[in-house]
Amino acid sequence: MGMKGRMLAAFAGALVVAAVAVTAAFGARQADPGVTATSVTIGGTFPLTGVASLYKTIPAAEKAYFDYVNDHGGVNGRKINFDILDDGYNPAQTVPLTQQLVEQTKVFADFGSLGTPSNLSIWGYLNSNKVPQVLIATGDSYWGFSYKKYPWTIGWQPDYPGEGKIYGKYLDAKMPSAKIGVLYQNDAFGKNYYAGLRVGLGAKKSNVVSAQSYDPSQTNVTQQILALKSAGANVLVIFALPTQAITALVTATKVGWTPDATLLGNVSANRLFLLAAAANGANVDGVISSAYTVSSTYAPQANLPGVKLAKAIIGQYAPSLVASLNQGDGNVIYGLGAAWTFVYALQHAGKTPTRAGLMAALKSMHNVNNPFTYPGIRMNTSATDNFPIEQEILVKWAGGAGGDWTPFGSLYSGVR
Amino acid sequence: MSRRLAIAIACFLVAAAVVVLLPFELDGYHEGLAAKVAIFFIAVLGLNILTGYTGQISIGHGAFMAIGGYTTVIMSHDHHTNLLLTLPLAFVIAFGFGVIVGIPALRFSGVYLALVTFAFAVSVPQFALKFSTFLGGSTGIQTATAPGHLWLYVVSWSCAGILFLVAWLVLRGRTGRAFRSIRDSEIAATASGVTLPIYKTLAFGISAAFAGVAGSLFVLATNGFAQPNEFGVFLSLELLVGAAVAGFGSLWGVLVGAIFIALLPTVSADVPLIGSAHGQDVVFGLIVIGVMLLLPTGFAGLLQRLRTLPGIRTAEKEG
Repeated sequence: MGMKGRMLAAFAGALVVAAVAVTAAFGARQADPGVTATSVTIGGTFPLTGVASLYKTIPAAEKAYFDYVNDHGGVNGRKINFDILDDGYNPAQTVPLTQQLVEQTKVFADFGSLGTPSNLSIWGYLNSNKVPQVLIATGDSYWGFSYKKYPWTIGWQPDYPGEGKIYGKYLDAKMPSAKIGVLYQNDAFGKNYYAGLRVGLGAKKSNVVSAQSYDPSQTNVTQQILALKSAGANVLVIFALPTQAITALVTATKVGWTPDATLLGNVSANRLFLLAAAANGANVDGVISSAYTVSSTYAPQANLPGVKLAKAIIGQYAPSLVASLNQGDGNVIYGLGAAWTFVYALQHAGKTPTRAGLMAALKSMHNVNNPFTYPGIRMNTSATDNFPIEQEILVKWAGGAGGDWTPFGSLYSGVR
Repeated sequence: MSRRLAIAIACFLVAAAVVVLLPFELDGYHEGLAAKVAIFFIAVLGLNILTGYTGQISIGHGAFMAIGGYTTVIMSHDHHTNLLLTLPLAFVIAFGFGVIVGIPALRFSGVYLALVTFAFAVSVPQFALKFSTFLGGSTGIQTATAPGHLWLYVVSWSCAGILFLVAWLVLRGRTGRAFRSIRDSEIAATASGVTLPIYKTLAFGISAAFAGVAGSLFVLATNGFAQPNEFGVFLSLELLVGAAVAGFGSLWGVLVGAIFIALLPTVSADVPLIGSAHGQDVVFGLIVIGVMLLLPTGFAGLLQRLRTLPGIRTAEKEG
């Protein structure tokens, strides 16, 4: 540190002393970090580049929603500054970037950060510093279950085991004598899904005739698909990341296997992925998955307030996302829904929002109707229930290479 | 020699004093960044022993960092080993892997050796995915406790100091002469009685061991969290860039190389317009090209040139 730097440091030190003295003298309560009279600064880490950059439309949509709110007066007169940092889905980047957000930018909260590994790497750090880690974009169940040890963390979307449970219940009810073949990723993500499926099947879990796993490094799942087919399965359940899920659908068709039903975990059920699978020759008609957000492409939902609002906001504040939205990229709606929830919580976090107030608001949602979630879904949380969305609807694909998801049946509740 | 030794010791003591006093000036966040400099210092130092002094190219040192990093995490996660004790363990295990990888180096050289080490860099992180129950898979795995900024700073710079001394002692004596003779001519080295297999694998072992310790600290700087994405090929390339900026075959340039790769990503992200998000790597690349154009022999080369300027010429030439 040079002379100038040292003088600056001394000057900054003097300022801090002065500020502390003034605060103490007037006995004023200092606002939480990131909050001023006119603004609230939040931030998050996202894979804008690298292997998971497909998800970069999520923070862009969130930013668009905050810009929209800011143009309509902000929250209690405060505008939301959203600092989006690129961690390339690499925890070694997530950690220093998050430290930068907390210690340099001094954000009020870490909002929406994406990815299970990335969030795990900063979980302890944020909680020990009492920085809210909220509405994070991962469907693992740790976030909801670990509220005692990690009270400053909460997720948003339904968790993987809960979703697996729905598929189990569906198969138990509709195809009680199915021979089920499961393809799952050999890690916590895939195993959680698979465990949920077995819970949902209950006594029928013996219907699983074969379960094949693949390592995340593998993209070719031909062996596994052939093994499931030769085990005599007539139902194919896929709990895989998008690349492997698309490959599995294409491979099943290419080896001449047409299961009576195919179920697909919703992380790989973005409309864009199914279109890609169909374009590569997969027979995707009749594939079943689940949804918890509105759809921007499904005609009967076109007049829902959430869909109209999504189109208006994206059109005005994020024109580069319009094409994605029109093709049914569910991530755009996801981002809007998560940002909506943050704004809702901020409105309920006190006139001068505090970190504790934000967490309390997020943990006391009672039948909150988020316009971007599927009609009928309500967000409910409590001190001991940290899963905001616990309802999902099953959807089925029709229309082949130009098709779309169509919801069917009624909402499943208690997903987790 | 005694005058050079005195200068070297003085430089080392000044550097040590700066390192000791720095935490009093820095806040936690900048302590973390300074610790990162020490971590890359260790890794680049290790790479320089192999590439700069022994002439064996490695594009795979990120893999040795992965081995060291996972050693620390597994020991802490599964056995609750004290984090400090995992560092020498990482040193030993990475040394072993280094010797093994060094064996092909007996037959390959130049571009072919680079390819072998590159393959190593690509394949090692996959093991964490293959043995996901043991190594955490793509979800990652975390140490039982995560250190704070100051702990990291003190331990990283202590390791850097110790390993710098080790490197200096190894390189100034008989072993260092053998390394350099291999770099300059393998035939001449053999003729002079240097046993190639021993010294080549030894260079790989020492170099990998340094990278292993750096990897341990790297993981600890990531809140004790290890995940395959952290050890991608880009990490290995960064180390090579660091060694090039430092100047191959010099110990003193290493600090500059380490500062370069540890801080440039953070600094380049602050460059207005193109720096934020997408442009970060572009800025990094542009600056690397700029440095290599202006200082083709790295920072060590610059020192060398300064030294030969009239007026500050010293009696001896850099060895």
